[in-house]
Parts: sequence; structure tokens; C-alpha cells
Amino acid sequence: MTRTPRPYTPRVARKFIGGYRPRIDALEKAGGKAQFVDDLTLKSRFPGMLYAKVLRSPYAHARIKSIDASRAGQLPGVKAVLTCKDPEVSELLPTSAGWTDGVDTVSYERMMWPHLRDRRVLGDHACWVTDEVGAVVAAESERIAEEALEAIKVEWEILPFVLDPLEAMKPGAPVIHPEIAPRNILPKDAVGGKDVFVDKGDADKGFAEADVVVEAVSVHHNATQSSLDNWCCLVDWKSDKLTVLSNSYEADQSRMHISQMLKVPINKVRVISSYVGGQFGRGDTGDQPFFLFTALLSKKTGRPVKFRHTRRESFHDSRQPAIYTGKAGAKKDGTITTMYFKAIGNSGAYADHTMFALKFAPTEITASALAHIPNVRMESYGVYTNKLPACMMRGVGNSQFNLIFGHVVDMLAEKLSMDPIALALKNFGHQWGGLPDKSLERVLREGAGRIGWRAKRHKPGAGPVYDRVKKRGVGFSFHPGWHAEWQEARRGEIRVRITVNPDCSVTLDAPTVETGTGSSTCNVLGCAEALGFLGIGPGDIVSPHTVDTETGLKDCVQTDSAVSYLQSEVIACAAREVKHRLQEKAAKLMKARPEELDIADGRVYRKAAAGIGMTVRDVFRRGDMLPVVVEMGRPPNAEKTGVPYIANFAEVEVDTSTGKVQVLKLVVINDCGTVMYASGAEAQQIGGQVTGVGEALTEEIIYDEATGVPLNFNWIDYRIPTMADMPDIEPVLLEVWRGAGEYGACGVGEGTVTCTPRAVLNAVYNAIGARIDEIPLKPEKVLKALGLVTE
Amino acid sequence: MAIKIKINGQWHEFEPGRDIEPAMTLSWLLREKIGLTGLKVACDEGACGACTVLMDGKAVLSCMTLAARAHGHEILTIEGLPEDDPLIRAFADQCEPGYGTALQCGFCTPGFVMTAKALLNENPKPAPGEIKEGLSGNICRCGCYPGIARAVLRASHFGCEPDGKSAVRASAESAPKGCRP
Repeated sequence: MTRTPRPYTPRVARKFIGGYRPRIDALEKAGGKAQFVDDLTLKSRFPGMLYAKVLRSPYAHARIKSIDASRAGQLPGVKAVLTCKDPEVSELLPTSAGWTDGVDTVSYERMMWPHLRDRRVLGDHACWVTDEVGAVVAAESERIAEEALEAIKVEWEILPFVLDPLEAMKPGAPVIHPEIAPRNILPKDAVGGKDVFVDKGDADKGFAEADVVVEAVSVHHNATQSSLDNWCCLVDWKSDKLTVLSNSYEADQSRMHISQMLKVPINKVRVISSYVGGQFGRGDTGDQPFFLFTALLSKKTGRPVKFRHTRRESFHDSRQPAIYTGKAGAKKDGTITTMYFKAIGNSGAYADHTMFALKFAPTEITASALAHIPNVRMESYGVYTNKLPACMMRGVGNSQFNLIFGHVVDMLAEKLSMDPIALALKNFGHQWGGLPDKSLERVLREGAGRIGWRAKRHKPGAGPVYDRVKKRGVGFSFHPGWHAEWQEARRGEIRVRITVNPDCSVTLDAPTVETGTGSSTCNVLGCAEALGFLGIGPGDIVSPHTVDTETGLKDCVQTDSAVSYLQSEVIACAAREVKHRLQEKAAKLMKARPEELDIADGRVYRKAAAGIGMTVRDVFRRGDMLPVVVEMGRPPNAEKTGVPYIANFAEVEVDTSTGKVQVLKLVVINDCGTVMYASGAEAQQIGGQVTGVGEALTEEIIYDEATGVPLNFNWIDYRIPTMADMPDIEPVLLEVWRGAGEYGACGVGEGTVTCTPRAVLNAVYNAIGARIDEIPLKPEKVLKALGLVTE
Repeated sequence: MAIKIKINGQWHEFEPGRDIEPAMTLSWLLREKIGLTGLKVACDEGACGACTVLMDGKAVLSCMTLAARAHGHEILTIEGLPEDDPLIRAFADQCEPGYGTALQCGFCTPGFVMTAKALLNENPKPAPGEIKEGLSGNICRCGCYPGIARAVLRASHFGCEPDGKSAVRASAESAPKGCRP
């Protein structure tokens, strides 16, 4: 398929921000020189290093009755064994792997879900197959550590288990965390609110008065992040100080977590994160128990200890599967009067951020997309089961919600005999603007144009047939974008430091863990843009990629897709202060008042007489030669600017004889406010489709229902799309909406995944005329929908 | 008998039992014993291609190759490529509008570069479909497939010209308006 790419046109022409250009780390990474934590912790670099391995539950639900590790401890090469009976383990406080919502650093006392402290570090209670329980060993090699685990004698009390959340909610179901959720249903919480967490207007009355009502179900499954860089850490606890190398994406929070759980002062914990090979929300906020038991092993042995997951073990967290029911009522003219959504989420063995996905994200959507719908009710239930825990994953909560939202919109449009684009424009905007929403209008118009909506959209199942058995269709789904700056207020102050050296080279300290998102490139571009008066470019700026809690500022957490502009906004403020300081420096030399001077192209001059001046370098050279250092912090701008929109349009081909769905084309449209870095934004738009198409068509964790054993914790059977599986993808960047601040940008990365499954499902319905409520859309489901096979 | 392997142009000798055990994989030998960390072990079971190196010019999954199997053979890892290798440059420089970048987190990149190297050894001017097929054994979870395909296409068409014109310059010259590599 050929097409001519159409680069976007920036609303404001800028020198560096918004450009199509290589990433700042591209050459280092392309040449294999970028060092990830597993590379940095080779034994040759830490000669005395030991390897940790943790006992994992073979049962979906079990309790350790007794444990005997004496034989393991005697094996040659085994240097330490810790079990749940040891006081340094058993005295650790119960915890959660979701202390924060992933944007700020919080303490144990202030953790987000204090009533859901369901995790014990090396506890005796196993809640899913693979759960880290009971014992951990440190040995000279991983093989010896594995042998030692096998030598540990465990007497298990095997408990009944449950995998299905609907079963888990029934009276008499096995209860997983009775002290927290006596019926497996997570209790109400201060953050998300009551079970019915949105109740605007009168939904019941709204439905009763509606001319048209549709009702639908959508089921999202247990997809997993699949970062290629498996979880890995090295802890070196020497005398009273603990150094951690990790690939967690939240260094400051990791330090807080380790400090408080192990009762070590914050300044005695140093966390270093280098390049990270993909994050995608994995591990919530990095509050993982394995940091703690690895640290305890290091303390016990006096040696650095490395713990890393195998690929199988890196199936460690997942997206919350959710069963959504959605209902919408409208007048004959297409005005939607009422919407109702109910979710039952499968949290798996531990709650982590389940309620964030089920309540927080939909609440945000209510304030934005559903602002003009007078009656809205939403209710959610998070349910414990004995499956892989669900946590943050790219597009947390939004992906699940979009699957039902786009379903209801498509169904309602059909019932009203309306084009779903017209229906969307008639009803969805945000609280701070009218209808139709300009951003949504432009996003949908671009998508429709580029997919060929008018020519290709036909009545469901009524299009032409190709190769005797193949049918094609187009569909789309849309979603409010995130996050504008005001939505990041929770993050607190964001700090950066700019150092301008006497030769006008610049060191930028704007720490954020480099997980691949491109935000570090945005920072350098933003810095070059803001320091444009120095006459420098991105190549004159050094910005270390390593986050080090001992030597650097607090890292801006790589979440919410927002780092790409959040730090640049602060950098712009700091650059103004840099200019001011340089004017002050120059004023002394030029015998002028600072306000009489200006700086451009690396030269300070008198505003009144541009010919009189000196270069900035000369200001340093003739002056004190001290670099100008500006450290600045400020909270995100809380000005309510509304939100922009995003959408995905899909064209699919369905083989009605085999049930195979092939996505032919995807158009991914993001209104970015301001495009901070065009190549990076496109890479996110395109790249997100691997997850989106994977979740829609092939990726799924399969369990043996009889034992609860996950069957496909590998990439042969858990099928991530490869190059050959992916369709043509057209990325479309827009600047319609505008947020606050210098750039007024919003996040891009996560939202690119959100609409894909629903766009594909709607396209499949358009192709075959039969609706399928569940992803992944495996051929058997298509054949069943077509009535060609039965259960 | 010592096991001899030529790695990035230099012969290495390994003593069985001391340096190499029968079950040791080539990826382990290269990373853990020699410190060549460009190749990555992500799945350790031949599913993702991140550990790809060349053996006698052909791509092998080093996690699925026993170290002893490399006896007498020539191994090339990404560290053995010159810094201005046209493929490395093409991966680094990709920013042609419409295709994104050729890498994001960069973890899979060395594997893709080496797989592409082997592809171009065999087929110096692959068609887009051949690139797709040739690189479909590698996983990029960041999803940069279109950028990767574009980089390989460029390297194959501009990278090996006799005047030594590098892919960088070639891509700059032919880059559409708006690209500032």
C-alpha cells in the first residue's frame, strides 16, 4: 500500500520544538552502546556479586504450613537463605505495590490505597501461581540458586481458588484476602469513591424518557506490558548504606519505598536508573517486594545481590480485565440524554491500582467527554481472584472504558440511522467548551478523510465480497486525550536545573527515567528552544540519561505521557531566569542597568543601540567565569483548559470461512495541543498500535481452568504482533486545542493504544454485520458470531 | 581441546569445563563472559530476536545456540560493526515523516540491526515485502516497525554506494520537507 506521508504544519513555527529529527539517544542505542541495568550489573563489574532467586507458588491459592530450608543453606555456593519465618522478613509491614498513582512520591502512611495493603514481602500466603512467597536464596550463580530452591521442603496447605470475577463475587466463593475483602469485592475507597462513583442527573428517569435505548457488553482481557527488558535490580548494602540499580521508572518513589520498608534513612538509600527497555506502566509505581528481599540478602551476605526475572517471571503484572455493561439513551434527533456504565474488574491476586483503572480514569472522562450528557451513572467493582495481578498498563482504565464507550456510540448511531461521526459531534466535548467540540470535529474529519470513510462505510455486512469469502469494513473509536497540564496538578513541583558554562555549552538536569518515550529528547529540544538567545542548538546541550537520587534532582515520573512537555514548561521558565542572570552579569561589564540590555544569538546588546554589545562568552571571560546555574521548580499550571481529542480509524478484512481478521489500515489521530517532537510523537502513535492490535487480535493470557496455572507465559504462545502482522499505519498529528503555558501541549503516548481495539471491533461489525463483545478477536469468536460454529 | 571462536575479528580460546560448559549458550558466553552487552537476552527461548548475532554472516539467535557450537566459526556482534556502519546510521537517523523513529527504548535495536545486516548480506536490495518477512522474527514492543523497515530500505539503497556516501547524507538529501536530520 502506498501513500505519501503528510507532515503536520505547526501552529507556531519554532526552531527546535516540534521538529522531525532523530532522538538524542538514537546513535547510542542503534549501535548497541546504551547500557541497561542487566548490562550494568554483569558479574565482571561486581566481582563479589551473588544472584537471588525466590520461591514461587506452584498453586493458585495456598498457604505454607511449614518450610525447611536447612538443606538448601548447606549447598555449596549458597550464601544466604531467608524464609518467612525469619524476623527480618516477618516483621516487614504489609504493603501494596501501588503506593502512589504514579506521579508523585508518597510515604507509607500516605499511600494511595492504605486499606488495600494486601502484599506481604515473602509471606506464607500464595495468591496466584508464580506468587513470590516463603523463601529467597542468594548464591554464587543463578543455577545454584535454583537448585537451592528445589532443596527447600515446603508443606503446602492447598486452598480452593477462583479465577472468574463473577464466580468470585458469589457467596461461598473462596475468599482470597478475607481481612480486606470478605467477599472478594474491594471495599469502597477514599480515592475512587463509592461503588456508584458517578451519579449525575437521574439516569433512570433519563432512560424512561429516551426515544431510543441501546445496551451492550464489552470484555477486556488480561493483556500484559511485555517490556523486553525484564525486571532486574542489584542491591549493594554496605555498612549503613544501600545502593540500588534498577529498571523501575520511578527512582524517587523507589527510594521512599525502600527507605520506609527497611527503616533506613532516605539519605542512606541511593537509587540509580539507567536506560529502561520499555515500561508501559509495568509494576505500578515500583513498590515491588523484590527490592526488599534482594536488599535483605545483600545485608545478610555483605555482598551485592542481583535479582532478575526470567521472561516467564516477567509476566508479573497486566492490564485489569474488565467486564463492562453500557447503556445509552437518546432523543430521535440524536441528542444523548443518558449514559450508564458498570464495570466488574478482575484485580487478580492483589489490588494494586485496580480501582484507579475502574474509577479514577472513568471519572476524568465524565468531566471531559460526558460533560454535556445530563444524566450519567457509573459503578465499578474490583474483585480479587487467583490470577496474575493487574496494575498500570499504558492507557490505564481508558482502554477498558473505550471498549464499551465506542461500542455504545456505534450501536446508538445504527439504531438512530445516523452516522456515528455526526452522533459523536452532537454529544461529546468537555465541560469548558460548547458543542460541537473543535478538537473532536477536526480529529474525526481527518480520520474519516484518510481512511476513506464515505466510500468504504456501508451498511453492516452489506459491502462487497472479495476472494469469494472476504468482507471488509471500516470503524473508528475516539476518546478524550490526556493529560493536559491541569490534570497533572497532583504531581506537585517539577524541578529542573540549567547550567550555562562559560563557553555557552549547557548541562541540563531534568531527570526522568529514560524508558524510550522520547521525553528526554523533548527536554533537550525544549531547552535549546528556550535558550535560543544564546545562539545554541540541541547539540550544545548535555542531559544525562541516568537518574541518580543521590546526585540529581527528583525525577519526573515517566507516567501519564506528560513528561514530554511538563519539564519543558519549567525549562522555559528557568531559561528566562538564565537570561536575567546573564543580563545582570553583563550589566556590570557594560555599565548599564540589566533592563537596558537584551540577548540574542549569543550576544548581549543595548536595547537602545543594538550595535553596542558583547558576546555572552565574553561576559563570562571578562567576568568571574562562574557558570550560571538556575534551579527552578514549579507545580503544573492548574488553569482549566479542557482537553483535546484522539481517535483511531480502522479498516479490516474478515475471512468469513476461517474467521481470521486482518487489519488493513489504521489511522491514528492525536490533537497534541503542541507537537513537542514530531518524530517521537509519530513513533508513539505508530508504536502503540503493536499493543493495540495485539490486545485486539492475538494477545491473551490463557489459564488452565482446572489448576489456575497460566499456560502461555512466553512470547511464542502469548502472541505480540511482529512486523509481518502489522497493517499500514498513518499517524496524524494535529494542533487544534491549546493548553496553558509556553507550549500548551498534552500527553500523546498512552492514548494511542486506547481506541484501537474498539475501532477494530466496530470495523469488524461493519464488515460482517455481527457484533462481538470480547477481545481478543480470535477466529473462533468470529465464526461463532457468524453462526458457523456453536460452543 | 580448546574451543576456538572468532569474535568480532579476533580469535578467542575457551577451555571446556573452565570457560565453557556443555549447556552454555552463546548469548551467555558473549554477554556474561566477554562483556559484549549489545545483544540482549529478553526471552531466552528464541521468540524475540533481541539476542541476534551473525555466525559466518548469517543471523543466529544466540540464546538458542550452544556456545560450543560456535567452535571454528566467526561471530559478529553489534560491537563488531564500525561506528559509521550505514545500517546503524540509518536506524539512528530515521525521522522521515509518516514512519516515526526506528527505535524508542532501544532494547531490541541491536537484534534488529544484526538481523537486518544478515538480510542485506543475502539480499542487498530487498523489496519492502522482503524486509517485512526478513525482520518478522524480531519483536519491538515499542512498535517501531515502519521506522525500522524504512531504515533498512534506506541503508540498502544508499548505504553501500561506492563513493562511500553514507545513509545519513542520503537520507538528508532525499528527506521530505520538514525533516531536519
